[in-house]
Amino acid sequence: MNREEAEKVLYCAMSIGEQLLTCGAEVSRVEDTIRRICTAYGATRVDVFSITSSIVTTMFGGDFESVTESRRVLSMRNDFNKLDELNQLSRYICSTLPDPEEIPGRLRRIAEGRSYSFSQQLLVYALVSGSFAVFFGGDWKDMLVSAAIGVLLKCLEAFIRRGSVNGLFTALLCSSAGGLLSHAAVALRLGSHADLISIGNIMLFIPGVMFTNSLRDLFSGDTITGLIRFSESLLLAVIVALGFTFAGFLF
Amino acid sequence: MSPLIQLPAALLGSLGFGALFNLHGRKLAFAALGGLLSWSVYLAVAQLTDSPYVCAFIASVSLTLYAEAMARIHRTPVTVFLVTAAVPLIPGAGLYRSASALMLKHMDAFAEQGSYTLLFAASMSAGVTLTTLLFQLALTAMRRRHPAR
Repeated sequence: MNREEAEKVLYCAMSIGEQLLTCGAEVSRVEDTIRRICTAYGATRVDVFSITSSIVTTMFGGDFESVTESRRVLSMRNDFNKLDELNQLSRYICSTLPDPEEIPGRLRRIAEGRSYSFSQQLLVYALVSGSFAVFFGGDWKDMLVSAAIGVLLKCLEAFIRRGSVNGLFTALLCSSAGGLLSHAAVALRLGSHADLISIGNIMLFIPGVMFTNSLRDLFSGDTITGLIRFSESLLLAVIVALGFTFAGFLF
Repeated sequence: MSPLIQLPAALLGSLGFGALFNLHGRKLAFAALGGLLSWSVYLAVAQLTDSPYVCAFIASVSLTLYAEAMARIHRTPVTVFLVTAAVPLIPGAGLYRSASALMLKHMDAFAEQGSYTLLFAASMSAGVTLTTLLFQLALTAMRRRHPAR
């Protein structure tokens, strides 16, 4: 492998790693994938370091001495369909060693992969909110109101996201709106328990997943990533909880 | 609240989260079943003990085993099934009630709900991480014994 080829291989490996990180893979998986791909193409030593927002890799080999590349990863959005396909792609690469030229095309196809349409997502928000309102003890009226508020919150979130304000602020606005709407619905006698309606909605915004993953990161040795995710999830949980309960003051 | 209604609610909630995370078809179905499983285990253990923390711990142990098994069957990362199955155990109600108590300055209720939420989350995470680590340990040991596989 000459220098030019090594750069191409590393570029592809880094793109896959970056996509993995973006769609919700653990840091250890990202590092492992990049290492495996580079080693498969003949690197003698690969040093990968990744945290939630950045990846740095240096790959060593006989003919090209060393090649280094770094990536800054800005957004995070759980997408397990993409995660699965990227995982399959990296297995395919490691077992068949395709020409690096064909990998960007495959990555593009994965990026354009199937996802739920906006109206289907509205339905999903309604489903989650309604289910958890009942789960925590609400009656059928609470379920319907919670589902309706879930739909409104999804629209609000999409609207705010378009202005691309930061994530914490989006969560604060959405959860305050959720709290206000649930109290308003009970005041109008549409629902019976404002707290249970809000609890159905809160499940959508709570970073429970991030919290569990942060502890898994911590225990698998990725201390920095674990701490970053841990503090992010605590901060988000506090903001969401305060946002939803804020309306209790006004009613 | 009758558990009979909680089980379908847990199933649908996990189904919804699976869809939020863009799962489709068979994987979505098994992710939803994971949520049903974790809450069934929780309710079953609740018959034997009064402590919700023990229930959460054992439920998360079983859901992690389920996720590890499913990940191998479907050849996909463990996170996919782990995260969706854990959804019914997320203490959303506890978090809401502690924040609400804080807002209304009911400090006794805040201390009670806050410690409940933290301990619940801690026992759930302990179950997940402990099982993951033991599972990895067992796999490594098995590979060492049968290096050909």
